[in-house]
Amino acid sequence: AGFIKSPLSQKRLAQDSVELYCEAIGNPIPEIQWWFEGNDPNETYAQLWDGARQDRVKINATYNLHSTSTISIANLTGDDSGMYECRASNDPDRNHLSKSPKVKWIRSQANVFVIERPEITTHVSESSGKLILSCNMSAAHLTIMGHKWIHREKILEQDENPGAFTSYTIDGKKEEHSGVYECVFEANPQIRAQVNISVPPQVTAYKKSEHGNEGDTGVLTCKNPSFPAVTSWSWHKSGHGVSALLENASGRYIIKSDGNKTELRILKLDIEQDTGDYFCNGTNSYGSGDATVNLRVRSRLAALWPFLGIVAEVLVLVTIIFIYEKRRKPDEVPD
Amino acid sequence: PAPAQAGRAPGPPDGGWGWVVVFGAFVSIGFAYAFPKGLAIFFKEIQDFFGTSYSEIAWVSSIMLATTYGAGPISSILVNRYGSRPVVMFGGLLCGVGMISAAFCTSILQLYICVGFITGFGLALNLQPSVIIIGKYFLKRRPIANGLAMAGSPVMLCTLAPLNQFLFDNFGWRGSFLILGAILLNCCVAGALFRPIGAGTALVKTQVNEEGKDALKGKITEDGPMGKKIEEEEGKDCFEKVNQYLDFSLFKHRGFLIYLIGNVLMFLGFFAPIVFLAPYAKHIGIDEYSAAFLLSILAIVDMVARPATGIVANSRWVRPRIQYFFSFAIAFNGACHLLCPLASSYTGLIVYSSFFGLAFGMVCAMLFETLMDLVGAARFTSAVGLVTIAECCTILLGPPIGGILIDTFGDYKYMFIKCGAVMVLAGTFLFIMNYYNYRMLAKEEKERKMKEEHLKSVRTENEGKKIWNKDSTQDGPELEPLREKGEGIKKEMNGT
Repeated sequence: AGFIKSPLSQKRLAQDSVELYCEAIGNPIPEIQWWFEGNDPNETYAQLWDGARQDRVKINATYNLHSTSTISIANLTGDDSGMYECRASNDPDRNHLSKSPKVKWIRSQANVFVIERPEITTHVSESSGKLILSCNMSAAHLTIMGHKWIHREKILEQDENPGAFTSYTIDGKKEEHSGVYECVFEANPQIRAQVNISVPPQVTAYKKSEHGNEGDTGVLTCKNPSFPAVTSWSWHKSGHGVSALLENASGRYIIKSDGNKTELRILKLDIEQDTGDYFCNGTNSYGSGDATVNLRVRSRLAALWPFLGIVAEVLVLVTIIFIYEKRRKPDEVPD
Repeated sequence: PAPAQAGRAPGPPDGGWGWVVVFGAFVSIGFAYAFPKGLAIFFKEIQDFFGTSYSEIAWVSSIMLATTYGAGPISSILVNRYGSRPVVMFGGLLCGVGMISAAFCTSILQLYICVGFITGFGLALNLQPSVIIIGKYFLKRRPIANGLAMAGSPVMLCTLAPLNQFLFDNFGWRGSFLILGAILLNCCVAGALFRPIGAGTALVKTQVNEEGKDALKGKITEDGPMGKKIEEEEGKDCFEKVNQYLDFSLFKHRGFLIYLIGNVLMFLGFFAPIVFLAPYAKHIGIDEYSAAFLLSILAIVDMVARPATGIVANSRWVRPRIQYFFSFAIAFNGACHLLCPLASSYTGLIVYSSFFGLAFGMVCAMLFETLMDLVGAARFTSAVGLVTIAECCTILLGPPIGGILIDTFGDYKYMFIKCGAVMVLAGTFLFIMNYYNYRMLAKEEKERKMKEEHLKSVRTENEGKKIWNKDSTQDGPELEPLREKGEGIKKEMNGT
């Protein structure tokens, strides 16, 4: 038996996860085990199994043409630091309790360092039409090689300065640039922190005025493109000076909402009852916002009158043209 | 109204009721060209209603356009048989019925049939007869009449676009289709104006005057008026019967073939720039309203360019060489497209739109005029049907090919270059071939004049001598075929 791939030593931050990968070959196919020795001087090697450490350890092994095994440990703590060993053997007696194996287990080691998460203080300040996002990292012992600012998976800015402080400036107002921003410190390992620009919901109507046909279903939509998402939506109708809350259960109204959008469906539109202004209101932990949508219900026969009018006009014109021609015919000499 | 004229009719009236007919053609042609484009406003709503993809909706427009052009020969056959007026009125009725039934459709397939086929077919029955009847009413002022009638397309488009938007806002798409169906019935009114003109005699005179040279080429048995004689004979065969309705002998006509090849080539690059102008503007970074404004500029310049071109084409200097003017217009169009990639700012695009509008109007105004000029008014009916069905394929292929070019290269300029190159090629081809055609026609005209003079001298000789002896040795061998032809012409002139 022999190793094709050995596990690699890594540095990780606390609460992150780590994956070690090991591949061995032999005839017959060798078995792979994972053993761990902590940093304490008293500790000895102990075997790891799938589900160990309160189910934080997962081992995934395949034994096809050769053996592969992947161990992943989630939610790392300082106690997870230490030496991890990948052991392989294809001796049939390897696990026998009394017999001693002829071939020893071959071993490959990797060191895992778990570093305490450094404190990063984040700050958002607004002044003279600009927004300034900043991250300040308190751990001085890490060597920082650069910074990055990321928003919606796009890199906004990056540099290669070694400082523990980095900032990013946006032109505009908080309401226009709400969302989740990440500042990244390029070090070993990479350290990220989240900076949130949170505002009350900037609710807007999808279309300020909607039309529907009598008897059909009318759909009114409001959306909230800002961060954070709306936790509760409500619809009100104001007609005849009364503001009534529209509920899901009252037969004709169906409200479908999620964090960014809400939809009010009105079944069987009625001209008198349903025409008017509708208010949608969205609330989150920072406040609330609303918008107005106006609904107009068209009568089923609305299009019929212009139609009949035009058909009548066509018939009249055609009749006039033909009568005019018939009356001129006796006067004209045929060509 | 034109005063009654005793004796021989002088040919097409060139005025009077003709201008009313031009107005009717204006309306009819306007609907035929502008209506499919105007429908685009409803597509988003219909797409949401039926839950289909954009390409499925776009098929409605394509089917309509394909039917309008593809049904050309059927239209020609019907006009040959029944005359313009009944065909246009029936076409208007069909359009109206198609759109009204579309208002009650419950599936996208039904929309294809009602809006695509039925309305498309109705528009085809509108388009061809309108163009044909202009040829019957005008000769000397025909280019102006054509230019004015073709101006219907941009005017209708400018009217239909905001009208459709208004109808849609107030009545929804079903109500709008109902009302549009009623509006299309106005084509019947336009058709009612197409008073049939004494086609038989006027046509024969025109034929003899303009196409004596064609007759000399030995096509006597296959021409239109002689076709009427065949009608009275018994035992006609199938080919002649079809020929009577749709003149397939046109494929031997040199001018017709030149026009056909040149135009089929041209249409490959004709419509694509219009389709992609607004997306190109948005791609450069211009906002939606300004992009739409470009199309409005195009339409307005087009509106003015068409009658203006008609007037220019009618002038003394241009009319005899109208084919050269047409080829120049096509090449000018191509040059505009080739230069378009250089326009990268909004002002540049405005300049491009204006020139494009001008070139587009010039080509459209003379599209049918040049065909009439080449084949003559009698055979124009069949010619226009055959031309439209041939153009149908390239018209439908043009924008998708442009789209493929844009998608492959990610850049609009290749589409413009392709369109420009195709049109410059078509223009040059038409220019060279028409130069050749004019020379051949001039040569044949000279030959015909020579033979007529010989004929006159032979007749006066014989009448003077009062001898009409076919076996006379005085006649040289070359006079025998001339005399037979001369008798042929005499037969024609007497056969009114």
